[in-house]
Amino acid sequence: MAAKAGNWQSYKRVLLPPVRDLHRLSVYGDYGALRKALARYSPKEVTEIVKASGLKGRGGAGFPTGLKWSFMPPVDPDVPRFLCCNGDESEPGTYKDRQLMEFNPHQIFEGILISNYAISAKACYLYIRGEFADWITLMEEELDKAYAANFVGENIMGSGFSADIILHKGAGAYICGEETSLMESLEGKRAYPRIKPPFPAQSGIWGYPTTINNADTLACVPPIIAHGAEWFAAIGAPDHPGPLLYGISGHVNRPGVYEYPSGMLITDLLEVAHGMRADKKLKAVVPGGASVPVLRADMIDGVTMDANSLRAAGSMLGTAGLLFLDEDTDMVSFLRRVTRFYHHESCGQCTPCRDGTGWMENLVTRIDEGQGNTRDLDLLLDLCDQMEGRTVCALADAAAWPVRNTIKRFRADFEAKCRKAIWATETKAA
Amino acid sequence: MPSVTIDGRKYEFEGHPRLLQFCLDHGIEVPHFCYHPSMSVPANCRQCLVDIGAPVRSRATGELERTEDGEPVIRYFPKLQTSCSHTLADGQVVHTSRSSDKVARAQQDNLELMLINHPLDCPICDQAGMCPLQIQAYKYGPEGSRFEFRKTHKPKKVKLGPHVVLDAERCINCTRCTRFTDEISRSHQLTIIDRGVKNYPLTPPGLVFDDPYSMNVIDLCPVGALTSADFRFQARIWEMSSTPSIITASAKGSNCYYWVRDNLILRVTPRPNPEVNDFWLPDEDRLAYRCFNEDRPGGPEIREDGARQGATWEAACARAAELLSAAGLRSVFLASALATVEDNYLLMALARMTGGTVAGYLPHIAPGHGDGWLRTDERAPNGEGCRRLGLGPADVDALNEQIAKGEYDVLYVLEDDPVAAGLSELGAVSVILHYHNTTNRTLSLADVALPAATAAETIGTFVNVDGRAQRVVPAKAIRGAHRTLMMHMGLSRADRHGTPFDRWHNESHLINCKPSWELLPAVAGAMGHRMDYPGPRQIMDEVSSTVPAFGGATHKAMGLAGVKLPEV
Ligand SMILES: Cc1cc2nc3c(=O)[nH]c(=O)nc-3n(C[C@H](O)[C@H](O)[C@H](O)COP(=O)(O)O)c2cc1C
Ligand code: SF4
Ligand code: SF4
Ligand code: FES
Repeated sequence: MAAKAGNWQSYKRVLLPPVRDLHRLSVYGDYGALRKALARYSPKEVTEIVKASGLKGRGGAGFPTGLKWSFMPPVDPDVPRFLCCNGDESEPGTYKDRQLMEFNPHQIFEGILISNYAISAKACYLYIRGEFADWITLMEEELDKAYAANFVGENIMGSGFSADIILHKGAGAYICGEETSLMESLEGKRAYPRIKPPFPAQSGIWGYPTTINNADTLACVPPIIAHGAEWFAAIGAPDHPGPLLYGISGHVNRPGVYEYPSGMLITDLLEVAHGMRADKKLKAVVPGGASVPVLRADMIDGVTMDANSLRAAGSMLGTAGLLFLDEDTDMVSFLRRVTRFYHHESCGQCTPCRDGTGWMENLVTRIDEGQGNTRDLDLLLDLCDQMEGRTVCALADAAAWPVRNTIKRFRADFEAKCRKAIWATETKAA
Repeated sequence: MPSVTIDGRKYEFEGHPRLLQFCLDHGIEVPHFCYHPSMSVPANCRQCLVDIGAPVRSRATGELERTEDGEPVIRYFPKLQTSCSHTLADGQVVHTSRSSDKVARAQQDNLELMLINHPLDCPICDQAGMCPLQIQAYKYGPEGSRFEFRKTHKPKKVKLGPHVVLDAERCINCTRCTRFTDEISRSHQLTIIDRGVKNYPLTPPGLVFDDPYSMNVIDLCPVGALTSADFRFQARIWEMSSTPSIITASAKGSNCYYWVRDNLILRVTPRPNPEVNDFWLPDEDRLAYRCFNEDRPGGPEIREDGARQGATWEAACARAAELLSAAGLRSVFLASALATVEDNYLLMALARMTGGTVAGYLPHIAPGHGDGWLRTDERAPNGEGCRRLGLGPADVDALNEQIAKGEYDVLYVLEDDPVAAGLSELGAVSVILHYHNTTNRTLSLADVALPAATAAETIGTFVNVDGRAQRVVPAKAIRGAHRTLMMHMGLSRADRHGTPFDRWHNESHLINCKPSWELLPAVAGAMGHRMDYPGPRQIMDEVSSTVPAFGGATHKAMGLAGVKLPEV
């Protein structure tokens, strides 16, 4: 079948181009896209171009970026407004933003500045995961250079437009990546997600209108301005166009972040990573970071990396971080590790998430250690119902999905590890 | 007017009410923990979930879409919504657990989760018996638990500050306590530490929770996690009777409950009154209750041969009458900002009958003590009541001088302590003293010592700094039973009859004292004057109809919330 990614073998990278020492400003270029945006377009036009490009958020939820920008209220000179760039990347199996920061920081800065212009914000907070200490240092150095070259700051390149970028070191928790808790954290508070509404566009950082985008999303903006919306919209899958940074990990020969058009066949991506290690058979794929539903090997035929195809297959695009698992993988212990993560990272604000994630880990651990009962599986599925859709943020959902789907799709593996019942137990699926 | 349908019944509303508050205001119970009407709404306990639908409007015309029978088409939110954070809109349809199994199930699930790591130490928990978690778990929770693992363990006894002790395991992380210190008292002394199931509130490093309003978090805490260092493990809730009353340690007259077992006050909690103290009490007001229990007198005394000796009430009142009659015009009366309006009014009447002088009341002012909120510079409950009766603060220096010059033979003191107030020259006068506590420094000089009922034992009116007249009723019984008091003992309990564990007939803690409104007529009677009032209610009827500054302030009008008096 024709992959949506088209002739991907000859694709030319735009986010992580193959340039040595790319993070040197002299190599990156002269912020031409920013120059073009400031000279040629009004803020509204920039927003329209980004809308037309079909760019969707790369932070996991896939929200249309241009549309998000248009939610900002009309400019009021007395009310500050902010852009926020989410560089808190912590979803297991996801490490694309880090690569961008390492190799192409100026494209993030340039994207930020164009977006600042589009939403008429004078400042952008760039929130970088605290554990990325070296990357923060690097970004700081590069930002200083951009300031020195007047690509950032007062009256940028004589255009009359001014914007600042403020680097903020993250507080060191997965939950800080959730957009509203990121804002709390930025304000110096505990990273507890806020209830929505109000949404960030109404009340974001310090209660002022704020747009928040993932670093990768913003890095897509300069090429869109440079080459036009149609060029971007033509890359990859039409419903989720543009370049994607596929973070491939697991039992493959060449794990790594690969930039290709969206809509790549999962099987092609396995080929890109030089196939399974030791020629083992593929057992399962988690296509978009730890929280998205796992796909069995028999479910991925013809499935491409875009929202529609993955939804039809029973999963989600998420962050496009693919985890390939081979035939030797114990799905119970895999799930045990995943539940441990969400238990560890729940902020503890909502009852279902705070207490449910721990209970899930307890149950999966017990099964993994051979002490579980088949009725525990039904209890786990019940817990998914008790958590999903009932919390402030989506972490509880993200914790429930892998449990629900891994059990559903690998039930035999789980039952095999359960205790042989001494008394008859009924299980709904049996 | 916009309307909303809740469980099939239609309610009209105005403005933009929040759904949970609207339900509570209309007597529809929705279980909840984190919501509090005077603080921000984090919607974090997730207990108040309900199913909400909204009428559908046609995109093209903006008209309501209707079914075949003309009913508006209702589209439900895909997820259950937290009612605490939901703002009502016209035409919405709401299902609580009473009309939706889905909601009932969600609320039950939430309670199951809330309890899995809760220690369930209800048998030893101060909150048990009035614990929202306990009550709601019984009403809305599951039958048992499916949790078969070790619960998380956290510190059981953390002294957060001088008055508040935390049992972290009981905490359900509702953040009411931290929101209180952030939004209400603004001391910012509490924060949640750690993450997930391990988190609990604590002071930031180096801080002590010495907020002057710290103890409010104890009432706010929907479980027994925050306990009072003072009251911890002192009594079970059901062993105490609670009586609505007011605080007498300040001039704010903050509304409160006195919690009593066997005629001992064991704790004081705030009683919500938006006109006075909202939901709050300063710590110092709560801790001032000991004066009702401790250092109380044993009975009336008169001085015989230079020493005070026990006497009967009749003998003591007769001696007072004797001294007053002998002094004639040469007696001076001290009113009291610590006594009720009724008692001060009778004192003034007695002074008129004897022809003596009223020197005003002793001021209790601690400059700088007030905070513009619930703490006041004036440290007595009824200075304003005295002023409205036409009494001024006594000039202690002038009085000292007059007594030293021998202008008076008798000093009659109503429920106060002139020696402590600086009246040092009492050697030359006979002192008749109504007093509350044996720590009263004037007591050793008294010729007639009459133990008086305190605010926790009497009936009467106090006027707060803002000119609000409020009534007290007896919270504990006294030995000298009076018909009016006895009647009120039965009526004044919040639940009308109190608990069988509170044995207020129990002799051991009954104080042998009498309310001044009973003593003053007795003294007057012994002098041959008539002062006929069945009780304080009738006195106040007279005050409110004859003294313009007290217009409208009858006991009936005051009720439990008090009345604002006319501006003077
Ligand atoms: C628990 C949780 C963690 C998240 N972590 C991140 C993250 O680390 N980085 C990120 O970009 N978005 C993260 N998100 C998504 C953000 O909330 C938000 O949707 C995103 O930053 C929006 O950017 P986009 O529209 O450009 O995708 C997280 C969401 C949740 C619920
Ligand atoms: S869902 Fe979990 S992580 Fe998100 S706010 Fe609630 S407790 Fe915190
Ligand atoms: S200590 Fe009490 S008030 Fe504070 S968060 Fe815990 S349960 Fe809520
Ligand atoms: S009361 Fe609504 S979520 Fe807690």
